[in-house]
Amino acid sequence: MITHRARVGIGDGVRVGRARAAVVAAGLTKRYGSRLAVDAVDFELPGGVVSGFVGPNGAGKTTTVGMLVGLIRPTGGTAEVLGHSVSRPAAYLSRVGALIEAPAFYPTLSGRRNLEVLTRLSRLDRARIAEVLELVGLSDRGDDLVRSYSLGMKQRLGVAAALLPAPELVILDEPANGLDPAGMREIRSLLRTLADHSTTVFVSSHMLAEVQAICDYLVMIDKGRIVFQGAIDDLLAAQRSELVAIPEHVADLARLLEVCAAGGYPARIDRDAVRVQASGSWAAELNRRAMGAGITLRGLRSIRASLEEAYFSITDQAEDPRP
Amino acid sequence: MLGAFSSEWRKLRRRSMLVWGVGGGLLCSVFATALTIERTRRTFPPGAGARFHVTIAQLSRPDGFVHGVLTASNLIGIVSLCLFAGAVAIEYSQGTLRILLVCQPRRGQLLTGKFLALAAFVGIAIALAVSVAAGVAFALGPSKGINTSPWTTGAGLDDLGQTILHVYLASVGYGILGTALAILLRSSALAITIGVAYALPGEAIISRFWSSGDRWLPGQLLSALAHGGTTTASYTRALVILSIYATVVAAGTLVIFGRRDV
Repeated sequence: MITHRARVGIGDGVRVGRARAAVVAAGLTKRYGSRLAVDAVDFELPGGVVSGFVGPNGAGKTTTVGMLVGLIRPTGGTAEVLGHSVSRPAAYLSRVGALIEAPAFYPTLSGRRNLEVLTRLSRLDRARIAEVLELVGLSDRGDDLVRSYSLGMKQRLGVAAALLPAPELVILDEPANGLDPAGMREIRSLLRTLADHSTTVFVSSHMLAEVQAICDYLVMIDKGRIVFQGAIDDLLAAQRSELVAIPEHVADLARLLEVCAAGGYPARIDRDAVRVQASGSWAAELNRRAMGAGITLRGLRSIRASLEEAYFSITDQAEDPRP
Repeated sequence: MLGAFSSEWRKLRRRSMLVWGVGGGLLCSVFATALTIERTRRTFPPGAGARFHVTIAQLSRPDGFVHGVLTASNLIGIVSLCLFAGAVAIEYSQGTLRILLVCQPRRGQLLTGKFLALAAFVGIAIALAVSVAAGVAFALGPSKGINTSPWTTGAGLDDLGQTILHVYLASVGYGILGTALAILLRSSALAITIGVAYALPGEAIISRFWSSGDRWLPGQLLSALAHGGTTTASYTRALVILSIYATVVAAGTLVIFGRRDV
């Protein structure tokens, strides 16, 4: 098993240390009979940033999140949330907002009344209800029964419920499920605003593009094991990137391939372009060498690996640990 | 716990809860009262079954009105069982328990607050049901030759108060059973089906094979409690044994609810 770690001094100011970590898990394990749902995971989440928790369905995301909010009892290991052990969730959950699995509400109560149920339970100021409904864009539908809500509206209400206690840590499990592109953009913007106000956000999702757009930090889980944790920028930078060079004349493709090979970079022809396995820093040199060889380039760009490619690269390595 | 009570109280004000909870109790007590008055006679032939036949003279006594309420007591208990089981188990099936537990991680407090709110709701529902049944009894009684004036005497009101308390305690007992089944089974349909099947035909069948069943079975004891004691189980016996059962069941339920993953 390969575990990538980038604990200190990563990305643009994302630092994970015990003093600033919002969540610290050490050997956290959950076993259901003979099935190991979460296998001794170690991870830390930096405070005040948006962290993603990615993995395929059944990887152990919801179980891990469930353990962090006291819904599921770990069978091994420990975890601390906001400095308190998960064995005592009452010590920290008043400072945590969470949306776990699908948003669940009372269908015959309005959105506002559903939130009232929660404010009464947590003994919060009911003035927060209007504020969070406004935040998630549900002010005008707050008095409608939840059974008339679309999945996207329920999702927003779930986020509103998580924000009720003005939490220091927000844990959202698949918050983009059922949202249309506009809704996704609003949630993305909301999460970013929360992080700007020093709220730690932990978003579990299997939608990698969405996580890439929202998150600064990433924890990857596969088959119950952590396969990566660190800044997304660092992860993507470590992935193999490509240069795409497009000659003015298609006839120059073969010669351009030779230029790349002479530079020591493997390349291949892809329709009217040559794709070179090289980082963006070699682009200027490639341009010079092509010009020296009498080839005019009408296009030259660097392509960064996507989070999806990085994810599969890491999980493939995890499955096949040969060097 | 106050937060859990207040939160549950907000949910109980839903129209569906009012219809099923209050409406169910109301229907049972009004129907039983009307039926008791309708079937009353001056005398009944020997062997007609004293349990279901009440004479006009009996109904004209200060405790006459409570006959109808007592006839409905088992049905009110079953409605209470369904209400508690439904309200607790639906939090599992709807998935709302997760969000409630994030807001109130002290599970014992959450369940106790919820239970107390349901118990208060049942109390109000019984008071309302008895009031409406009283209106029906006062309206129907004179037409059958029943003298209703003793019902409003001090002794009559005392009997009524005691009967309401007994029926309420029995309903809360059924509520404990419903809550325990809901926590154990995590399904409204299963909890209600098993609860009703046990309380109605289940215990009757067991009693046929177990002659002392009336003195030990919870449903029989709850019935004795509601009636203020019977020939087989006194009120005190019913109260003491049911208190022991309730303590054991409540403790077990709290342990299961507190330890099980959600």
